[in-house]
Amino acid sequence: MFDTFRIEPNVELCELRAGQEVKFTGKLLVMRDAAHKRLIEVEKQTGTLPIILEGQIIFYAGPTFSNGKMVIGPTTSKRMDGFLEYTLSKGIIATIGKGVRTQEAIEAIKKHRTPYFVAPSGCAAYLSERIKDWRIAAFEDLGPEAIYEISVEDFPLIVLIDCNGNSL
Amino acid sequence: MKYLKSLKNIVYELVSEKLIELNTILNKEVEVLLKNYDGPFSKELKENSEIAKEKKLPLCQDTGIVEFFVFKPFNLELEESIQKTLFKAVKDVYEKHGYRKSTVIDPLYSRRNMLNNLPAIIHEFEIADERELKGIEDRKLEIWILVKGGGSENLSALFMMPPSSDEKLISTVILEHIKKHGPNACPPINVGIAIGGTADMAVTLSRLALFEYEPRISYLQEYNELSEKLFIEINQLKIGVQGLGQGPSCRKVRVLGYPTHIATLPVAISIDCYLSRVGRVIIDV
Repeated sequence: MFDTFRIEPNVELCELRAGQEVKFTGKLLVMRDAAHKRLIEVEKQTGTLPIILEGQIIFYAGPTFSNGKMVIGPTTSKRMDGFLEYTLSKGIIATIGKGVRTQEAIEAIKKHRTPYFVAPSGCAAYLSERIKDWRIAAFEDLGPEAIYEISVEDFPLIVLIDCNGNSL
Repeated sequence: MKYLKSLKNIVYELVSEKLIELNTILNKEVEVLLKNYDGPFSKELKENSEIAKEKKLPLCQDTGIVEFFVFKPFNLELEESIQKTLFKAVKDVYEKHGYRKSTVIDPLYSRRNMLNNLPAIIHEFEIADERELKGIEDRKLEIWILVKGGGSENLSALFMMPPSSDEKLISTVILEHIKKHGPNACPPINVGIAIGGTADMAVTLSRLALFEYEPRISYLQEYNELSEKLFIEINQLKIGVQGLGQGPSCRKVRVLGYPTHIATLPVAISIDCYLSRVGRVIIDV
């Protein structure tokens, strides 16, 4: 079952069910451990965020750049579970990573009705072909842990936890 | 043995080639395993290795922290420290090929990226077994290489078990650990287990158990039956490829044993992701 969907209102994402395979075309916000930590610190100190989280999908990943290409793949989502309530409360509409999540995270996903997807891991050469454009959005000094905005086409995903908190 | 090139240059060149191979060419056994898998993401995983090979791209964006296990013959002279040569190989390969720089200098506070993927982790063993002492015909420098991703590394564990524990209790501890965390390690996983030694020795030997070669370490024991049993039991957990419930959960289990103190029974587990980026370089010296 291969659908293409775009970043549109929550309602559409919530039509997806756990286990469903989808191909995503649109923009993703790439951020992982260090970026989450820094984002919260920056907000605490300045009262503002350097990027807009509202309406965005977070892809937990840290790319590298090889032969002129961005090479990317999901990292373990569980490590970001402690930050999930924070990012979802800022308007993030879905998250993408690899692996299972904690009960606390599943509750947050249910509460905010924001599905969690997995992308194929250890599959970075393939995923690099699905990236159409990218830019650094914040925290360049973090290197692979900087925040990137990427534009992807037919990015393969599976719904691991749907809006209702059902898991595959 | 005399070389036209210096030994350090030979080490540098062979290790560099091996690092590129491990990061871009899929392990043959894994390739066969993927061929027989038709569950979720099967198409993507198969294409990944083709694209990586053809375009010289890394198979995974996490090109790891590099670990070396060096088995050095007695009295071997190198023109510089092996650390210097190996660090240079890692730095040059990771910089030149754009493999990810995944190390941070200060783990607790700044976590500032080293930007060169150093340091590599090096364990050195001096081979001084009987063959070595009797003659020189078998003098080889062996460098085992493990490209270790962070996701699977977070599953490494050490359990200091009561010395009266039996096989069943140890198996239960191992299986519970893998059941809970296995899906996050990019399965089908490769499991290295070491029982005995001291805490540090057990952890080190559990890394060596991720390889298929014979470590030249005295007193080491191979627990083949237990390895077989655990292999079957881990696969019965039905974690599946990518943790999605279909296909094999585990590709290989190897359990090693080592003498220990009367009061202790360390059990160390190292888990490697499906890419299993392990290899070695052997040089006659």
